[in-house]
Amino acid sequence: MILSTRALSFGYGTRSVLRDLDVVIPERRVTAILGPNGCGKSTLLKAMARLIRPASGQVLLDGADIRNQDTRALARRLAILPQAPVAPEGILVGDLVRRGRIPWRGLLSPWRAEDARACAAALQAVGLTHLAHRPLDELSGGQRQRAWIALVLAQEPRLLLLDEPTTFLDLVHQVEVLSLLRRRNRESGLTVVSVLHDMNLAARFSDHLILLGPQGLVAAGAPDLVLTPESLHAAFGLRAVVQPDPVAGTPMVIPA
Amino acid sequence: MRAAVLPLALVLAILASLMIGQLPVGPMALLHGALTGDGTGALVLKVIRGPRVMTAVGAGAALGLSGALFQTLFRNPLAAPDIMGFTSGSGLAIVVAVAAGLTLPVPLVAAAGGLVAAVLVALLAWRPGHSTPPLTLVLVGLGIGFATSALSSFALTSLPLNEAAEAQRWLTGSLNARAWDHAAQVWLALAMLAVLALSQLRPLEALELDSDLATGLGIRADRARWAIAAIAVLLAAAAVAVAGPVPFVALMAAPVGIRLARARDLKGRLMSGAMAGALILTLADLAAQAALPGVALPVGVATGLFGAPYLLWRLSREMKKGGL
Amino acid sequence: MTRLLPALLVLFLAVAASLVAGARALPLVEYARAFAAYDLANPAHITLMQIRIPRLLGGLVAGAALGIAGTVMQTITRNPLADPGILGINAGAAFTLLLGGLLLGQPDAATVTLLALPGAALASALVFMLGGGMRGDAGPVRLTLAGAALNAMLLSLVSAIVLLRQESLDVFRFWVAGSLAEAGARPILFMALLAAGGGLVALAAAPRIEALLLGEALSRGLGTRPGWVQAAALVAVTLTTSAAVGVAGPIAFLGLIVPPIARRFAGSSLRMQLLVSALLGAALLLMADALGRVVIPPSEVRAGIMTALIGAPVFIWLARRVRSGAFG
Repeated sequence: MILSTRALSFGYGTRSVLRDLDVVIPERRVTAILGPNGCGKSTLLKAMARLIRPASGQVLLDGADIRNQDTRALARRLAILPQAPVAPEGILVGDLVRRGRIPWRGLLSPWRAEDARACAAALQAVGLTHLAHRPLDELSGGQRQRAWIALVLAQEPRLLLLDEPTTFLDLVHQVEVLSLLRRRNRESGLTVVSVLHDMNLAARFSDHLILLGPQGLVAAGAPDLVLTPESLHAAFGLRAVVQPDPVAGTPMVIPA
Repeated sequence: MRAAVLPLALVLAILASLMIGQLPVGPMALLHGALTGDGTGALVLKVIRGPRVMTAVGAGAALGLSGALFQTLFRNPLAAPDIMGFTSGSGLAIVVAVAAGLTLPVPLVAAAGGLVAAVLVALLAWRPGHSTPPLTLVLVGLGIGFATSALSSFALTSLPLNEAAEAQRWLTGSLNARAWDHAAQVWLALAMLAVLALSQLRPLEALELDSDLATGLGIRADRARWAIAAIAVLLAAAAVAVAGPVPFVALMAAPVGIRLARARDLKGRLMSGAMAGALILTLADLAAQAALPGVALPVGVATGLFGAPYLLWRLSREMKKGGL
Repeated sequence: MTRLLPALLVLFLAVAASLVAGARALPLVEYARAFAAYDLANPAHITLMQIRIPRLLGGLVAGAALGIAGTVMQTITRNPLADPGILGINAGAAFTLLLGGLLLGQPDAATVTLLALPGAALASALVFMLGGGMRGDAGPVRLTLAGAALNAMLLSLVSAIVLLRQESLDVFRFWVAGSLAEAGARPILFMALLAAGGGLVALAAAPRIEALLLGEALSRGLGTRPGWVQAAALVAVTLTTSAAVGVAGPIAFLGLIVPPIARRFAGSSLRMQLLVSALLGAALLLMADALGRVVIPPSEVRAGIMTALIGAPVFIWLARRVRSGAFG
């Protein structure tokens, strides 16, 4: 399943954030969208998840415009986790995850074995099976984010979009969340797209990077092709040295 | 165990309301009346207090469910049809219709008044290109409430005295002189609207988490939000049509019910809201009847006296949590 | 003085409107004749002296008092939605006044009106305390809802009283709507003294209140004692609101509308704002009263209903401007 955009543009008041953007999300890969604040990273992600309507252009899923598709059918293939959602007070982890089955259940259909299986698998994947009966408020920040990820995994999408999934987490939990997503990708072929801030973590945990700048798309491709001093300067106005990461060998950005 | 608390309390409240009154009956007389259909027990059940109590239970449940729906939808404990001016809109519409001599069915008038108030609040709070914070809705709703109460007092000052007294009772919220058709009417509306609410359970479960996430889960967020708000307004209007705009029941019901039943899942929370609403209205009516010997106070006086301190307490709690 | 001129002009027009508007059109010469040679046999003279002049005086007292009360409340709570009606202080005054009337039978008017004082004082103290308003750190939503709760509770008590004595509903339903129509039967001079007392307290405390707005630490450094300043504000609000309720019944929203307009005219000095608020408050109430007399002739819309109908949209407009940032 290939997600792509064609001539996507957004007007944001008088200032246009994105103009004529063409990107392709490679199937069964982990993709990160990078760029300075205000360049339209989240806008792009939200448009790809049909949360906002572009001024012009299209978002295509296997070549068909997503706006023409039934939203519930789409939800069975494509999931989005917004930035920093807030759960209702007192909700249990298991109840939160169960709500990921909403697109699979009819109006009156009972809770089926496959729903239970999907939720159990999702909890297992994020390592929260033992906390399913605990209120979400009692969990740590990292655990809470994993519970939200379990919700979108229970949705059993082929494609998962995440808006800044690591923003309010400390480094340990950032690594935990990103390696969890990476593992899901490797084990089940889930396509993952996330908006990230940390370029070094993005390079480490992604197969594909999309770098946006104030003028739109700067570069897209494998991390070592995208993160170059030239493209970083074009996107951020930053002078930087790029060296191989001593642990993983992926590119590492060091401001000069 | 916890799940049994509310139904049990409700049954006890209903029994107490049937037994206590100007013509007191004991439990045995009540049972005898129910089984044989004659004696004072039967008289109380069929004519004197039965319809009134059933109306109270139905109207209270409708108000409680309405409040629970609004509070879940806006994720704010202050969002309730009574705080946001919808019930006073319904009440005003009834008084105006009665004063103008219109012979429209009361529930339709109440529904129209509530919906007009709700649409006004939504339109006036709406700013193009911005999402509306629930607290702005609450404040604008208070403003609509001020306007309706000004119009109500205009209606009160222009009516002849006997009609004004009747209108005053209506505007305070009262269960006096309720007959079986009132009870049937509110229960029918409650049943239909509860089924509709049940059909919106999945969208509400998703909306309660996050609007964008709900869209991602395949819910048409805006359409669902309007549908749920309309159901909640109509529930409140159904209660107003038989009991007047009784204040604070919808506001208090869900938090009280959820705490008593320790309900966590959405269906459980909505049901405990409805049951707590029924419990509160039944008990408040009992208190209003029994408070002063020889004087039957309207139930709205009692819920006003209990409800206002609750609202103040809630405000200070929200403040401590940083919610306001 | 130049800052007072526009407000004085508006007040002059309002006074003229108040004297002219009414079910009965009076020839202008009769105004002069009524003062020069009052003729008891002339119905025009009676209308003027016994109906319109007391109404005018009542409007001046109640309107000025409510303008001052609104400005003091909005300043000390830093809340643009504060108003004696919205925050339940009118209802407090009304409650003790009615209760007193019920318990004491029919005492003289001045005594009954004095009964409004404890209710107003208690209600303002309560709503400030519960709303956290005295520290000026309560969000508008919290303070407004605290007022709404207080209003609802007091109204429940009031309707219980009214329903205890069915015949009192007939008086009550008119009284609670707030109007200048019965001003002639109320002790206007006494109420004027009460309002003037409140106004003087507010004027005297104005510089200290301004200092308090700079923050508690800084105001202490400037030599003010926050507790005393707040108490003075409370006294001013209580006296002025009670006076207004005594003359005209509970009139809402005047204290909401007047202060922001007064700030436009008066600039930043609180004393000037108070003076302009008094003038504009009187003018607005007289205009609302005059408008109510002509809007659906021959019947009359009571002034309190007119101010509420004008004030509710203003409230909504202000509420929309209260952004999420201001909720904190």
